[in-house]
Amino acid sequence: MKSKLLLALLTVTLAGTAAAQVKVEDAIKFRQSGYTFMAWNMQRIKANVEGTYNKEEVIKAANAIQAVANSGMGALYVPGSDKGKGWEDTRVKPELFTNKEGVGKVAGAFVKEANEMAKVAATGDAAAVKEQFGKLGGTCKGCHDDFKVKK
Amino acid sequence: MNSQRIRLWDLPTRLFHWLLVLAVGAAVISGQLGGKLIEWHGKIGLAIVGLVAFRLVWGIAGSTYARFAHFFPTPAKVKAYLKGEWSGLGHNPLGAFSVFGLIFLLTVQVLTGLVANDDIAFVGPLFDLVNKSLSDRLTGLHHLVSDLLIGLVVLHIAAIAFYARVKKENLVKPMLTGWKEGVSGESAKGGGIVALLLALAFASAAVYGASGAWLPEPPPPPPAAETPSW
Repeated sequence: MKSKLLLALLTVTLAGTAAAQVKVEDAIKFRQSGYTFMAWNMQRIKANVEGTYNKEEVIKAANAIQAVANSGMGALYVPGSDKGKGWEDTRVKPELFTNKEGVGKVAGAFVKEANEMAKVAATGDAAAVKEQFGKLGGTCKGCHDDFKVKK
Repeated sequence: MNSQRIRLWDLPTRLFHWLLVLAVGAAVISGQLGGKLIEWHGKIGLAIVGLVAFRLVWGIAGSTYARFAHFFPTPAKVKAYLKGEWSGLGHNPLGAFSVFGLIFLLTVQVLTGLVANDDIAFVGPLFDLVNKSLSDRLTGLHHLVSDLLIGLVVLHIAAIAFYARVKKENLVKPMLTGWKEGVSGESAKGGGIVALLLALAFASAAVYGASGAWLPEPPPPPPAAETPSW
């Protein structure tokens, strides 16, 4: 009986840990860091497409974007994080928390193109990378347009 | 001296007008769609810098009806127009507000666009002159002015439709051919080759300035060998 209770307690605690919500301020910081890190990698790809093309650089950058895109950042949009300050004030629109279908659509499009970007980068085909870079950038914009506040 | 038609809009004014129509249309579309078109959006913006700069000089040195002083909407002119007593050629006083409004908004639009950023990988050619936070705010203004401009263009087209339908006056044809039919008055004078060259030179200088080609080159990247493997 005692061990059963302990087990139950343990289960509850563990489940609680797994679902533990990140603090709002931290969640916003993690979000902003993720996007900023992806911005660096987008700039790297762009620099390679416009200047001398370095296949390895582009692969690193594309893989980094793919990893962040597939990290499940949606979990960082915790309740109450529609407002607040991470590294700076969040620019998320309240619609992101209400329009689940819309967010799912733009986020899905982004992940798909990010995966494709990594695939194309691996081929080392600069022209194809340039093309895919445009598509990927378009999916960033898709979310910015609908869910990011313009200053 | 009374002729059945007069030379109203000189060729440079007409070319300016229709090139601006194309450029603004292309800028709106490329800006809305984004993706790889954002690079084109930047190039089109530079073309608009040139067009607006050209028009500013042409508004001083161009031919009669293209001059700002000719159609500047003074209170007296506006009053007369609203009473239906204005009789002039070229831009009427309300149309003049539209012209100045469009030129003003376009100027704000290109200036903010030059230092804007899209939070993805695109920045205007003069982005390095401001910090990110200022760029963000000016980018916001760029989006706002975009809506205002579209509104003003719609109003501009609506006014032309109103003139065509209600007042039975075709304003589009003179902007295409340069000739205004069925009126008497002086044909446009001035705006010769010297004025044209001056305006073109100013426009070129403006595009060069806006392109950021004069900005110091970023320091060369360190040799590849120094890039750490991690």
